[in-house]
Amino acid sequence: MAVAMWAEKYRPSTLNEIKNQTEIVSRLRKFVETKAMPHCLFAGPPGTGKTTAALCLAHDLFGERYMDVFMELNASDARGIDVVRTTVKEFARIATISGAPFKILVLDEADNMTDDAQHALRRTMERYTETCRFILCCNYSGKIIEPIQSRCAVFRFTPLSEDDVEEYLRLIAKKENVKFTEDGIKAVIEVAEGDLRKAINTLQAAASLKKAVNQDSVYVVVGRARPKDVREMLELAFNGDFLRAREKLRLMLIEYGLSGTDIVKQIHSEIFRMTIPEKNKITLAEAIGEADYRLVEGADEEVQLSALLARLAIVAERANQ
Amino acid sequence: MHVPWTTKHRPKRLSEIVGNQDAVNTLLNWVKSWDKKVPGKKALLLHGPPGTGKTISVEALGNEYGYDLIEINASDSRTGDAIRRIAGMATGQAMLFGKKRIVLLDEIDGINLREDIGAIDAIVETIEKTNYPVILTANNARDPRIRSLRDVCKLVEYKRLDARSALEYLKRIAAKEGIQIDEKAIEFIIERDEGDMRSILNDLQALTSGRKKVTYDDVTWLAWKDRKEDLEEALKTIFSAKNCLYAKKVVDIVDIDYEMLFEWIYENAPRQLTDPVDRSNAMEYLAKADIYLRIVKRENIWKFRKYVFDMMTAGVALSRERTEPSYVPMRFPERILLMSRTRMVRGIRARVGAKIGRRCHVSSISAVRYYLPYLRIIFENDYETAAGLSRYFGFDEEDIAYLAGDESSTRKIERIYMRLTS
Repeated sequence: MAVAMWAEKYRPSTLNEIKNQTEIVSRLRKFVETKAMPHCLFAGPPGTGKTTAALCLAHDLFGERYMDVFMELNASDARGIDVVRTTVKEFARIATISGAPFKILVLDEADNMTDDAQHALRRTMERYTETCRFILCCNYSGKIIEPIQSRCAVFRFTPLSEDDVEEYLRLIAKKENVKFTEDGIKAVIEVAEGDLRKAINTLQAAASLKKAVNQDSVYVVVGRARPKDVREMLELAFNGDFLRAREKLRLMLIEYGLSGTDIVKQIHSEIFRMTIPEKNKITLAEAIGEADYRLVEGADEEVQLSALLARLAIVAERANQ
Repeated sequence: MHVPWTTKHRPKRLSEIVGNQDAVNTLLNWVKSWDKKVPGKKALLLHGPPGTGKTISVEALGNEYGYDLIEINASDSRTGDAIRRIAGMATGQAMLFGKKRIVLLDEIDGINLREDIGAIDAIVETIEKTNYPVILTANNARDPRIRSLRDVCKLVEYKRLDARSALEYLKRIAAKEGIQIDEKAIEFIIERDEGDMRSILNDLQALTSGRKKVTYDDVTWLAWKDRKEDLEEALKTIFSAKNCLYAKKVVDIVDIDYEMLFEWIYENAPRQLTDPVDRSNAMEYLAKADIYLRIVKRENIWKFRKYVFDMMTAGVALSRERTEPSYVPMRFPERILLMSRTRMVRGIRARVGAKIGRRCHVSSISAVRYYLPYLRIIFENDYETAAGLSRYFGFDEEDIAYLAGDESSTRKIERIYMRLTS
């Protein structure tokens, strides 16, 4: 059996195979039936099926050879709006020859585009609307400018239910001959929080530990994926050693390539497990929320998080007095 | 007289070459084998990153074992005719009492196909006719322009120098030159130059010229030598000013752009303001400055720049309420250093991310976030799957080493990978 990432190998290839997001899927089926669709905006958290839905829609509309009239572009990778514009133009301007009524261009991570780039994109969308439909995928629809939103049918993807995640996991485990315990599969579902990609990757990584996937092996994976450095960094900050805490933060961000958002998330979950007065916990949560919000707005991860660490240090100090 | 260290400390014998022992041995054995009979492949292609010792090992070999080097390198015109003329000497009958010869074609991936017309054909021709060993060097053996050469050459790979052997070597050179230099300072240079020995030696020489002692701080301040005093003065003002206008003036006076100035303040603020409350206030002002800075850059709204200045100078200055005055030297922005030190590993990470992204429909940044941690676990624990995934994603040796973390796992994965692809 060829080795692959399971999240990719078991990605549905037609709308019928998508088990969750039923409402979205039924709306997309209408597009297939009528062979017509508007520009779309797929918004939702990671691992909820945005890209999959786009791929399946194209497949169902155009059949197996849909790749001829389908293009996927990632806004985070394409350097600058000029690349997007030229690539889009090249793709969109030539009418289809295979009899397909239009082409589909998926622009992933569209919320990473600057406002200027989005305005330029809007003009491009308008100019080629005859020959090309756009599907923009993003985590936060609020970061897409209003003129684009108003030209798109907006689809909101929600985290998968535990039952849906479980069904997928059991199916994959069976096909890949993965042995698991019940508490193991429950643990995967719990850590995934409705993110199917995370669930499948966790399962695959846990399976590589070469014994039945159980609660322990899942936590080993989660522990490695979420290194203990965050806790060590917090301890340094709480003990007043700000400079070393910042150094740790720096290493995580630059050398290990962790994302600021993931670090904030873990700081948040650590705070509520600490033995400090409840009142302080909520003060801290407020500061963490503010930092997280600023990151979503595109601020510098290290600068924001080190300001947070300095803040945590004084709240903790007051709590100990 | 100024003699470059790259010349002064150029190895005269093969044993003086740092690293790549396997490659050097292969080279020596192959050249020696000509004494018995002409080997199947009449040319060697030494390939690997710059500064790993490809050319100098040929030179050292020639020197140690008495070969004349017939050399053509990138700075010579390398038209087909020129190559044929020089290579003609290689096809002549070996003279009974003459010195033995090696033909060295340096940096062949630097050949400009348009200007150096017919060069590749001439090289292939030379290799066919030669009576002497022909050695070629290239940075990238996979360069499509030299494809036809690959088939007629035996390939020998030179790898990037590992930090430890480079360090030992450089310590010896420093000792020979009578210079005292921190180990940490040398490590910094090795990392920054990505193990390219030629650049390392040049940098080390530039750094130590005119002094006998070099510390880590000297190295980090290097690019700022002339401006060190100005900048220290400016920062001191920011960390001690009692009124806003005075602190804000620094932006106009200091001769660096304000984003760089921000980095300096951000690095030093928590070092200067040691009281936790002062420090937290200052860091919060810097965080706010950063938010305005993003708006200026992202949305091109220039009017917000004045708030960037307010926050990062006056905001920080007036945060000082409880910290007692004391002298703390200014430090070079450590995160800029870390960025340059980690350039190599970040480069590999970005490449791995891009390879994952192509397969998994995500950007390279998201790939790092959503897949890398799990791949690491697989690469550390399940070599079979790791090898299979390496093929699936098209990972090369460097990528595999990055994911597997240690050398023995990397070897094991590679061995399985070879079996899969053969």
